[in-house]
Amino acid sequence: MRIFTIILLFFGLNQLMYSQDQKSTISINFSNINQVEVLKKIEASTNFKFYFQEEWFDKTVLISGDYSNKTIEEILPKLFKDTDINFFIDKNKIILTKNSVIYDKYPIKGTKDLNTKTPIFFQQYDSVGKNKPETENPIALIGKEEIDSEIDFYILSGHITDLKDNKPLADITVKAKNTTISTTTDASGFYSLKLPTGISTIEVQSLVYRNTARKIMIYSNGTLDFSVVEKINQLDEVVVKGKSNQNIRTAITGVTTIEAEGVKTIPLILGERDILKVALTIPGVKTAGEGSSGFSVRGGKEDQNLVLLDNATLYNPAHLFGFFSSVNPYTINKVDIYKGGIPSEFGGRLSSVFDIISKNGNTEKFSGEGGIGPVTSNLTASIPVVKGKASLLVGGRATYSDWILKSLDDENLKNSEASFYDLFAKYNHKINKNNSIEGTGYYSKDRYSITPDSLYQYSNRLVSLKWKHAFSEKTNSEFNVTNSEYKFSINYDSPNPESFIYKYKIDETQVSLKFNTAFKAKHKFTYGISSKLYKVNPGEMTPNGSNSIVDPIKIDNEKGLESAAFLSDKFEITEKLLLDVGARYSLYAALGPSTQKIYQEGVPLTNSTVIEEKNYTNNEVINTSGGFEPRIGLRYIFDDSFFIKAGFDKNFQYIHLLSNNTTQAPTDTWKLSDLNVKPESGLQYSLGLFKKLDYKDIELSLEGYYKTSKNLVDYKVGATTILNQNIETELLQGEGKAYGVEFLLKKPYGRLNGWIGYTYSRSFIKLDSQFNDEKVNNGDFFPTNFDKPHDVSIVMNYKFTKRYSFSSNFVYQTGRPVTYPIGKYVLNGAEYTLYSDRNKFRIPDYYRLDIGLNIEGNHKIKKLAHSFWNISIYNVLGRNNPYSIFFVTKEGQIKAYKTSIFAMPIPTITYNFKF
Amino acid sequence: MKKIFLYKFLSIIFAVLAFGCTTPYNYQTQEFEDLLVVEATITNQLKFQEIKISRTYTLEESTPKVETGAAVYITDNLGDRYDFQEKNGTYVSLNQFQASSGRAYQLHVLTKDGKTYISTAEKLPQQTQIDHLEATAITKNDELGVEITVNSSDPTNMSKYYRYEYEETYQVIASKWYAKKAVVVNGKIQLVDRVEEARTCYSYQTSNELLLTNTSKLSEDKVVNFPVRFIDSKNKIIRNRYSILVKQYVQNLAAQTFYETLKQISNSGNILSQTQPGFFSGNLKSVDNPGEKIIGFFNVSTYSEKRIFFNFRDLFPKEFTPEYQYDCPYPIPEASVDQYVFSFSSNVAVELLKSGTRVYYPTETPDFILYDIQCGDCTSFSSNIKPSFWID
Repeated sequence: MRIFTIILLFFGLNQLMYSQDQKSTISINFSNINQVEVLKKIEASTNFKFYFQEEWFDKTVLISGDYSNKTIEEILPKLFKDTDINFFIDKNKIILTKNSVIYDKYPIKGTKDLNTKTPIFFQQYDSVGKNKPETENPIALIGKEEIDSEIDFYILSGHITDLKDNKPLADITVKAKNTTISTTTDASGFYSLKLPTGISTIEVQSLVYRNTARKIMIYSNGTLDFSVVEKINQLDEVVVKGKSNQNIRTAITGVTTIEAEGVKTIPLILGERDILKVALTIPGVKTAGEGSSGFSVRGGKEDQNLVLLDNATLYNPAHLFGFFSSVNPYTINKVDIYKGGIPSEFGGRLSSVFDIISKNGNTEKFSGEGGIGPVTSNLTASIPVVKGKASLLVGGRATYSDWILKSLDDENLKNSEASFYDLFAKYNHKINKNNSIEGTGYYSKDRYSITPDSLYQYSNRLVSLKWKHAFSEKTNSEFNVTNSEYKFSINYDSPNPESFIYKYKIDETQVSLKFNTAFKAKHKFTYGISSKLYKVNPGEMTPNGSNSIVDPIKIDNEKGLESAAFLSDKFEITEKLLLDVGARYSLYAALGPSTQKIYQEGVPLTNSTVIEEKNYTNNEVINTSGGFEPRIGLRYIFDDSFFIKAGFDKNFQYIHLLSNNTTQAPTDTWKLSDLNVKPESGLQYSLGLFKKLDYKDIELSLEGYYKTSKNLVDYKVGATTILNQNIETELLQGEGKAYGVEFLLKKPYGRLNGWIGYTYSRSFIKLDSQFNDEKVNNGDFFPTNFDKPHDVSIVMNYKFTKRYSFSSNFVYQTGRPVTYPIGKYVLNGAEYTLYSDRNKFRIPDYYRLDIGLNIEGNHKIKKLAHSFWNISIYNVLGRNNPYSIFFVTKEGQIKAYKTSIFAMPIPTITYNFKF
Repeated sequence: MKKIFLYKFLSIIFAVLAFGCTTPYNYQTQEFEDLLVVEATITNQLKFQEIKISRTYTLEESTPKVETGAAVYITDNLGDRYDFQEKNGTYVSLNQFQASSGRAYQLHVLTKDGKTYISTAEKLPQQTQIDHLEATAITKNDELGVEITVNSSDPTNMSKYYRYEYEETYQVIASKWYAKKAVVVNGKIQLVDRVEEARTCYSYQTSNELLLTNTSKLSEDKVVNFPVRFIDSKNKIIRNRYSILVKQYVQNLAAQTFYETLKQISNSGNILSQTQPGFFSGNLKSVDNPGEKIIGFFNVSTYSEKRIFFNFRDLFPKEFTPEYQYDCPYPIPEASVDQYVFSFSSNVAVELLKSGTRVYYPTETPDFILYDIQCGDCTSFSSNIKPSFWID
């Protein structure tokens, strides 16, 4: 602005001011000093006085010169060569201007002077078009005006980057307003335009990014860079960030990104700022129940979600019966949730991918974050290893809930124990422009004890190594090696001779190689291969202690290799129409050593129909299965505020979680496909409409889906899955269908922000067979365990001041289906319980309101750490939500009991700090 | 195993208590389903075949309702019809008959409310005899006991699926039996000779668990040492002579599967994994409403039985004989002399004898002992009729 004022001032003067002084000669010599110092030197040795702003000059440019008996008019042009500086001499005052020339005479209109061009007074233009300024930006002055310029056109070039991450943006239209002059940026974000001299309005247009315009005054070839902001969302005050912008940039349906920073104001249980819990407030993602570690996405089973932490599978994403997610929130950068279309690079699960990406450490300075709460505390520190290049991020979290349980009066609680911890470390190193490596290590452990004689433990362990390499500007690659292990054990130790130790373990190792190639600006290919080796110890029970008489049981280990090749192309057919077409070919091989049972054909699989046991040697292929998994997504933008998406996806799943408890428990076991257990497959058709309203930046989305699946695993009546040598005889594989409509209204910014989501969805399974034994509910479709038709979540934040904000979280869900005992009968002299049709009834509806107050620390610059307080109350309404309903036979009568967890308001206070 | 699991299952309830609260849930039988329950096994044994028909009952009730007034009959594919008649809550065939191979039988039930149910056609499976039974003293789960095993073989390889039931009969010898008994005549205690057998009795009990095995995995259709019963060496029922009748039913796969499922759901599950609850149907269908649920199975089986006897000493020459069924202390401990030892003039003794709960036993002194009736008179809890099959 200041420049502009100065210029205006001098237009006002408009005088003819030639001075004697400019004819007088001066002698001066200087070497390797900057231009400002040269000017000061001139001022010191003459009576000229320069008026300018120092920042116009690049002080790192050093010049040398030796002038004797030259006039100032001769010296200055040489001095200002290669800069945008013009000068105007008024007696002994020399006024410097940037870009523009101060004219000392009016052009004579009507005369055509080929040698002198009509000078451009941009003030004139400005006053004409003043009624609607394009932007708040001042007019940019490009190049150096030369009085005797004979060129009509100049080249304006520059780079367009994303304001957020400074990444160059390709395919952005740059044009001069009201002209046909237009171009688009290349892959490096570079553009260049040939512009007529004078004022132009340069417009940067994109469907994704906010349109920007800038008035410029071009005097010569010059550069003008733009940083643009994404259209739908702003950066600050966004609670769930990036949903729509990620959304509009991709053609994949049902994508959500949750960034860790954004979730801190949502009131959550026990003060944990838990990113996966936020995921549960998104339409289409439902918890399996309070206290359950699993979640169901779009009517899918809990085992159909692939949870990745830095590319490595995280088998149990929950701590403490699911109240906390097992990844320390301070180490998470973001989670990408794919509940509709799943990019072809991911596979192996039917419903969704939760791609958790951890933070990179700070390479510049030591920093950290932490939180202190009543149940858990955590600390994360970032340590630069090689300044600007490498850093280490370490984080740890632990509970002291044991202490709380012990200090309680209740006998039952005193005997209980529940604790967990998790550790996280990540090293990232940018070796050079084209190579970087990352390594992540993670370990989590839970222990809990329900009675003094039993101890449950489970742990997740994962290691992930990544090497990123750029071959060229257009092609880069990513090489990943990951290993994950999940195991649990039950240690039952009592004085009676039935003490046992029960153990389960699954281990997987994956190697993957992925390439991204940009091709002709319109195509972006992603392709690669991956291969994953599973090893499962499906369970073993050993006697615990020398006086135990438990017979050791060990179920044979399982092994399987899941490999895939994938290719996808993001094809921008037009600016509005984006097609993401891809496919994955997956191949699964069940491997020996193994003993597989062969069952009689045409009859149900039961212990009674085994006809042969076949042995396979180590790594011998038992059987293979696989197939094409097309993934197609389409996005069409109607206008700035409205776009639609459609998708079609197919997935295979070769691994199944066996749990006939209705909710996922840490002791559920994973089973690999084999000769008798077929892989599951699923198809999804989805459609989404996205609209941004002018009113208060409200965003609306409406998404619908229809899914069908095959070979979903369910259980026969009477099935038990643990330590079962013939597990396939207990399983049924059936057809599934699910459909739903998800509605989301989001107000991403403003004092009041938040979202309201509503989902209507259904999920059914059909278990039909010609044999009664394999038929459930008469072979008709019936609701699955996760069929919860109505689901509402409301998340609201209100900022009172910069420091105080109030937040609330409301959840409502239809109760999940359940099978009830409805009577009794006597057969062969024994009494049996008569059960209803499977999942015929429902447990009571679930609802809960949490509120929280967030207080940001003061904004003094000098303080140890930036702090943040969160005071929250979980379940303010004290709703007695059922966790489970179970039946106990007491004195010959069946009695029903309802269990709830946190049936009363739970207040918490958490102190978070950042340094 | 089952015991651990039951215990553990209870502990899961505590678990939940620890972290939340468990409250009785206001639960009544939701939409009670009144269903027909049919228990029908006919065999190749020539006899009056029996079929039991009852109805489901609510969780609040304690006994099933017998389905009365139904017309029950079995037809075969040769046009024969076997009618049944209600007798003491059981439907018994009018005439003796036996299932024969080569015929397909179908059960028909017409309830008094006019509904018709029909089974699928079932054929008699291969007939296989029990080869032999064995009673062996073994140690199982750290407990010494006797295991009764069955052996059977089918050279045709057709039987495959076996279900067993057993009937146990065991001798009871009253430990404090005396040849005379005390009776009260005109308020005086008198001793009279016993005329009825009260020393040796025979108790009877049947199996109540489902015993299933199959030979489908084996290259030969042989049941080898299948354990039908294990009796702990301290179990009172083998104190004296013991006899077991093992009944073998060879049945088809569908019946086997039905009983396997029934067996599984009767296990309440365990902490590791609950049993999947649900309804499962057998081979009966409603003619009018195919969606109607009927519980039970019409089973056509071949039948074979075998009996063995043994004495405790035959198997356990060195073990202590199991204690008598009831507590009959001798000598009478000091502390409880008042409760057991009486004189002939005692009014208390007169009252006790009148009540019929005590039995006379002499001592070396003029006083006598009054034991609980079971100690001296086995007919108080068992039967003094010697079964016709009994071999001493």
